[in-house]
Amino acid sequence: MQTEIAPRPVADADAEIKLDARHVNFFYGDFQALEDASLAVQARRITALIGPSGCGKTTFLRIFNRMHDLTPSTRATGEVLLDGHNVLDPDTDVIQLRRQVGMLFQRPNPFPKSIYDNVAYGPHMLGWSKSRINDIVEQSLKDTGLWDEVQNRLRRSALNLSGGQQQRLCLARALAVEPQVILMDEPASALDPIATLRIEELMQDLKKRYTIVIVTHNMQQASRVSDFTAFMLMNQRRAGEVIEFGPTDDIFNRPKESRTEDYITGRFG
Amino acid sequence: MATTRTLFDQELAELKTGVLRMGSMVEQAIAESMRALVDRDNALAKEVIARDQDVNELHRQLRERAFMIMATQQPVARDLRLIVSFQHMVLELERMGDHAVGIARAALRLNDMPQLKPYIDLPRMAEITESQVHEILGAVIEADQDKARMIAERDDEVDVLYRRIWQELVQFMVNDPQTVERAAILLFLAKDLERIADRVTNIAEDVVFLHTGRIVELS
Repeated sequence: MQTEIAPRPVADADAEIKLDARHVNFFYGDFQALEDASLAVQARRITALIGPSGCGKTTFLRIFNRMHDLTPSTRATGEVLLDGHNVLDPDTDVIQLRRQVGMLFQRPNPFPKSIYDNVAYGPHMLGWSKSRINDIVEQSLKDTGLWDEVQNRLRRSALNLSGGQQQRLCLARALAVEPQVILMDEPASALDPIATLRIEELMQDLKKRYTIVIVTHNMQQASRVSDFTAFMLMNQRRAGEVIEFGPTDDIFNRPKESRTEDYITGRFG
Repeated sequence: MATTRTLFDQELAELKTGVLRMGSMVEQAIAESMRALVDRDNALAKEVIARDQDVNELHRQLRERAFMIMATQQPVARDLRLIVSFQHMVLELERMGDHAVGIARAALRLNDMPQLKPYIDLPRMAEITESQVHEILGAVIEADQDKARMIAERDDEVDVLYRRIWQELVQFMVNDPQTVERAAILLFLAKDLERIADRVTNIAEDVVFLHTGRIVELS
């Protein structure tokens, strides 16, 4: 008798989809950078976008909170539904969108202000009360594991923190406005291995409350931290496409597409 | 698409060659241990026992090599499955080599005593297990999971023969206490062959895993 042991269950057909990108195309002027890209991002899970340089990962990520609006002559078509609302609609309140969908960049970019002011900046702009701001600053710094390290020097410049601390401060700044989704664009690429691991551990804590999408060049990082992975590649027209999307376990152990396997095994070139 | 991991591919190929070399050494050890019994050839039995050191040494080298590749190349997907499967396969082959030594040691003891009975089912059992070992190495080379599954199914034939031999030898012991020592040695010998067939099934499971990424139970 031959019995198959059931594989570990992963994808849940009834899972809550937080962000749903459907047939997204993106253009820098006449150049198409993204073609027909679709991705259903599950709530309170970490989704990684991987692929070689120039495949449109960061472009795709920046569409989710309309960061591309800041670049002239860009255009996005298709739909990106955040809880059912198409964020690409012209009537979308972009300020509100970016509050709901926060972002962490490749290099830590704290404001040249105090640690406290960095985290309080967003809540202050939202007009929150002083006591509420104090509470959220403390909570955000605790959520990012910084509180114990900085509670006695909250009024000192954020620029005096180490690179890893600065990146966690930027994360605290994003958390302070109570987002639902956090976009991370290679958040650990400028950090040393220990600071990188701290960010990765934080992500595991944060995913209990937030939906996270991360772009990373580091495939070990994608396999370590994410629940789902999308592999992207440039097509013959040099536009980025989503080649394969699925549970990270499948993408890194049993990819369906030979192009995915070639890339993750380092045979792509 | 151009290959960018030439050195890595070369290391994997060398690992695979090593596994197959170990497989053929074990295959030879099983065949010669049985011949030492049937032909009552003590010199051959001693050769099988001595050569097990070579199998053990190759096993050690291949484990080190696999560990080194994993540590330095961070393999994933098929590459990772290949190395993990090879690590398991060489362990199974090493144990098969130990079973061949068990058969050779049994032969040495039995060859000093009058033959209990004509050997009929034991050589038949050995023939099946030897062919299983040979064929499973072919399935490893070809990464042929269908072939591996078919080879694993032949374990049932070996089990049937083992049970028949077991009953017959127990009957010998019941009927004549003078036969107990020889029958007991033959029982252990038959058990060695039966375990070799089980280990072939384990390797067949590795071949399926290698191909599909799924861990299956074929026994």
